[in-house]
Amino acid sequence: MSHIKIAVVLSVAIVLQLLLRDVWRPLAYIDFPLVVVVYIALQRDAWKALLVGTLAGLIVDAGSGGLVGAGGFSKTLTAYIIYFAATRVNLENPLLRIPVLAAGSLLDSAIYVFWHRVLGYPPTVPFVQTMSYKLIATTVVGTLALYLLDAIVAERSAQKRQFATRRRVARRSTGPLRRR
Amino acid sequence: MAFVRTQKEIRQRAPIWLVTLLVANLIIMAVDARDADGRQKILRVWTQTFTSPLQSTSSKVSGATSGFFQQIWNFRSTARENEQLKERLSQVETELHTARQAVAESERLKALLNLNEQSEIKNVPARVIARDPSVWFNTITINRGSSAGVAVNMPVVSGGGSIVGRVITVSPWASQVMLITDEKAGAGAVVGQLGQSGALGSIRGRADLGVALIEMRYVSGLEKVENGDYVMTTGQDGIYPPGLNIGQVVEVKNGTATQAHQILIQPGAQLDHLEEVAVLLYRPPQRSVPEASPQTPERTRR
Repeated sequence: MSHIKIAVVLSVAIVLQLLLRDVWRPLAYIDFPLVVVVYIALQRDAWKALLVGTLAGLIVDAGSGGLVGAGGFSKTLTAYIIYFAATRVNLENPLLRIPVLAAGSLLDSAIYVFWHRVLGYPPTVPFVQTMSYKLIATTVVGTLALYLLDAIVAERSAQKRQFATRRRVARRSTGPLRRR
Repeated sequence: MAFVRTQKEIRQRAPIWLVTLLVANLIIMAVDARDADGRQKILRVWTQTFTSPLQSTSSKVSGATSGFFQQIWNFRSTARENEQLKERLSQVETELHTARQAVAESERLKALLNLNEQSEIKNVPARVIARDPSVWFNTITINRGSSAGVAVNMPVVSGGGSIVGRVITVSPWASQVMLITDEKAGAGAVVGQLGQSGALGSIRGRADLGVALIEMRYVSGLEKVENGDYVMTTGQDGIYPPGLNIGQVVEVKNGTATQAHQILIQPGAQLDHLEEVAVLLYRPPQRSVPEASPQTPERTRR
């Protein structure tokens, strides 16, 4: 995945995170930047996953009432743990991504709230309830978003598209009449 | 072979990168947490200065987006009609929606202007440009900052004059406001009219309730408090001026002579639907501190 593609996908995720809360408040429970972080971590590119985790977390923190750096910390650690798991267990199966997303969301929330409580800034919303809503929303929407990212962004899908185009072109040049 | 080595290198270096980034985040967090409430947070001023243009733009885009979805919804609801009628209806509804928004906006701005004229305290009208992108906190960002005279701890009110919260961070062109429903927010309050009622106490947000309610504490159980009573600020907290509307009592668990009332208040401002607010350029009167006599330390020693 090229740097430009990552930058575009991350920007879209952050803009969506900023926008959707205004459209309908429950949409704020979907953590789009986390979905991008999980996707890149599943690609087994440690450096990109860690950097995107930190950047995504810090940018969201900048507009949030929480501590700057808490989101960066939680997303970086989540990215590494998922990367670590992906290098040891085969997580290529799309179905396996669902528990990975759920675990990522759970871990991210737990680390984020942990640091706020330790540093004396407890969140203003009930922890278990908010974490559960976030887990459900991020997992459901994230699973679909990962499919979308696979179809649009992934190198393999680009190769498949190129191959399909070449095959179509080849078929056109050798139509049914010419084959005879 | 080279590819394998690179992968191996990446694997070996990943923990180092992880620790470096985690430590960097931890330092940023510690610096941000070090600045106590009520003081300007330097780190946040910088981050807000850079993010406020993005937030402002996204606020405009979200307005257009919600209008767009509204249009699609309207379009779907009349799907069984013929094509021409559907188009016309969609256009009319879009125009109506825009017109309604304009009327509502002008009414809110009029209310803010009236507030400006009526109040002795000068205020700066502001627009809400962003809400907290994380689900854990409930702050808002407004499009007025230090260049408009806004400072940390200044009170923010809605068009109707009810308190919304206080400014916690100020950058040149934007400010972050902690809502009154936040657990860390508080204010001196009285049930009923200031000077006529003895039901004095303090308010704070309640996170555990899951809804935007405020708790009022320390009101003597001997005082009479009923549902529907109005709650006002007392001005004793050093942030809010006296006499501002906080909200209405929605639940009272009566106390006794030795136990305080348990009171829940519905905020007067519609905190979930804020679009325009006003920052009161209010500085609480400084309390005179009695000068310590030079003999006091000696007396203490004796």
